[in-house]
Amino acid sequence: MELVLIDRLRRINRAVALLVGLGLLGMAGFVVLDIILRQFHASFGGSEELAGYAMALATSWGMAYALLELGHIRIDLVRAKLGQGARAASDVFAMIMLSGVVVTVAMKCWPVVERAIDNGSRANTPLATPLAWVQVPWFAGWVWFAFVSCALTLCILSLLVRGQAASVEARAGVFAEQDEFL
Amino acid sequence: MITYVSAGLLALLALSIPVGIVLFLLGFGVDQFFSSFPLTRGLGNMVWSSSNSATLIAIPFFVLLGEILVRSGVATRTYAALDRWVSWLPGGLVHANVATATMFSATSGSSVATAATVATVAMPQAEKLGYDPKLFSGAIAAGGTLGIMIPPSINLIVFGFLTQSSIPQLFLAGLIPGLILALTFMAVAAIICLIRPDLGGQRRLFPFAQMMRALLDLIPIIVLFGLIVGSIYRGWATPTEAAAGGVAGAFLIAGAFGGINWTMLRDSLLGTVKITSMIMLIIIGASFLNFTMSSAGLGRELTDFMEGLGLGPTGFILAVVVLYIVLGFFIETLSLMVVTIPIIVPMVLAQGYDAIWFGILMIVLIEMALITPPVGLNLYVVQGARRSGSINEVMLGAAPFALVMLAMAFALIAFPQLALWLPNALQ
Repeated sequence: MELVLIDRLRRINRAVALLVGLGLLGMAGFVVLDIILRQFHASFGGSEELAGYAMALATSWGMAYALLELGHIRIDLVRAKLGQGARAASDVFAMIMLSGVVVTVAMKCWPVVERAIDNGSRANTPLATPLAWVQVPWFAGWVWFAFVSCALTLCILSLLVRGQAASVEARAGVFAEQDEFL
Repeated sequence: MITYVSAGLLALLALSIPVGIVLFLLGFGVDQFFSSFPLTRGLGNMVWSSSNSATLIAIPFFVLLGEILVRSGVATRTYAALDRWVSWLPGGLVHANVATATMFSATSGSSVATAATVATVAMPQAEKLGYDPKLFSGAIAAGGTLGIMIPPSINLIVFGFLTQSSIPQLFLAGLIPGLILALTFMAVAAIICLIRPDLGGQRRLFPFAQMMRALLDLIPIIVLFGLIVGSIYRGWATPTEAAAGGVAGAFLIAGAFGGINWTMLRDSLLGTVKITSMIMLIIIGASFLNFTMSSAGLGRELTDFMEGLGLGPTGFILAVVVLYIVLGFFIETLSLMVVTIPIIVPMVLAQGYDAIWFGILMIVLIEMALITPPVGLNLYVVQGARRSGSINEVMLGAAPFALVMLAMAFALIAFPQLALWLPNALQ
C-alpha cells in the first residue's frame, strides 16, 4: 500500500520534472533567440525577467522530484555506521524535519502571493508582469513539495512501524553518490 | 551567535538531516533566540527573491550542457583524441586523464560529473594497458576537481550569488590558477613516473597525421569553451546568456557526432532538474540563514569575535585554511561552501581581503575536500567506475595531487595576483 503510493508519487513527479526540464530547455532557446535578434537591433525585451520567473518555477516544482530520487544532499558520516533499523529511523527523523520545514516555507510563501493578488501588484519592469500570474504557480509548487514530503513521511513512518527497514532505506535513504552519474 | 550556529550546524549535519533543511532550521533558531523582532515574516519574500533569479538560471543551463556532452558520447572521443596528443609524456595515459578532465571542466560546471565522465571512459584502458591503478585513478579524481575552478563553474556562480560579487570577474580569476593546477598535476605525474617507471604505462608516440585527425574531435569542444568564456569576458553576454548559448552549442556538437535521441534528451533533462533542485534547496536555505544572521547583528558580533581571536590578517587566513581542510574531510563540497559562506566570508572581508580572491582560495580548498577521505566525493565516483580493487588505492593515488592543491592555496595567499591579475588586466 505505502509502496504503491510512493511509486505513484514517483511516477507523477518524473512527469512533472520532465515538464520542468522541457521548460528550462525552452527558456534556453528563448534566451538564444533573443541574443540572435539583438544582433539585428531587435529584441523580445524582458528575457531576463522571464528567465528569473522560469528559475523560480523550476525550483519550486523540481524539489519534490529531487526528494523522491534521493537527490537532496545528506551527510552520511554517522548514519552509515548504524545498523539497518537505526538507519531507517534516522531516515524517518530526517524526513519529519524536512516536512516540517517545507510546510512552514509553503505557509510563509502564501502572504507573498496574497499580497500580489489583493493589490494586483505588477513587476517593476518593462513587461510589468502581474506578479500573481507567476507567484500563484510558484506557490503551488511549494504546496506540492510540502504535500509530497508529508505523504512520503507518513508512508515511511508506517513502513518503519511495520519493521520494513529495508524499504524505508530504499525510498528515503542516502543515495549512493557514485551510482548517480554512471 | 557564531558559536551557536557553528555548533548547531555540525550537530544537525551529523544527524543526517538534508543540508538545505539544516540551514533553514538554524535560521529559525537565530530568529527565535537572537533577534528582537520576528524574522520569519520575511521568509516568503526570501524564498521568492532568491529563486526568481536570472543569474541562477545559468546553473541548470550549465548542468544541461554537461549532461548533453557526457550522454552523447563526446567524452569518449575527447579522451581518445587527447591520448594521441599527450601519451608520449612519461606516465602515458595518466596525462590524458588530467587533460580530458581539464577540457571537460572547461565546458561542464561540475567536478563530480567531470570525474565520473573521465573515469567511465578511462578505467577500462588502464586495465588493458597495465597501468598502476593507484596513480591512474588518483589522477582522474584530482583532474576532475578542476571542474569547479576552470570557468564556467557552478560553484563560482553560487559563490558570486551569495556574496554579491561579480561572476564574470570570478570566472576570470579562476582561469590562471586552474590552468596552473592542471599543468602541475601533469608535471607531478611525469616526475613520479620518471622516478618509478613501473607506475606509469607505456609511453606512446603517435604519427603526426593521427594527431591532426584527433584534433578534429577536439576543435568543437575548444570552440564551445572559447565562445562561452570569451563572450562573458568581452561583455557580449551575461553568464546566463553564455550558458544558454552553450546549451545550443552542445546540441550542435552532439548532433554532429550523432548522439542525440529521445532517451539521451530525457535523461539529460531529468538529471538537470534533480541537480538544480538539490543545489537550490541549499542556496535558498543559505540565503535565509544569511538574512537572519545579518539582521540579528552578525556584523557587530563578528568584530568582537575577531578581536577576541587576536590574530592578524595572515594568521586569520591560515586559520581559515586549516578550518576548511578539517571540515573538508567530513562535509561534501557544495554544502561545505554554502554553509560556511554566511559565517566565514564576512570575517574575511572584515580583515580587508578581496572577495574575488577569497572565492578562488575557497575553491582550491574545496577541490582538496573532494579528494580527501573519508568524505571525498570524487574518490567514490572514480572507485564506482573501477568496479574492482580497494578505494584505498584511489585515496593513495590522489594524495600527491592533494599536496599540489595545498601548495596552490599557499601560493594564492603569498601571491594574490595569481587570481587577481587577469580580472584587473581586462577591466
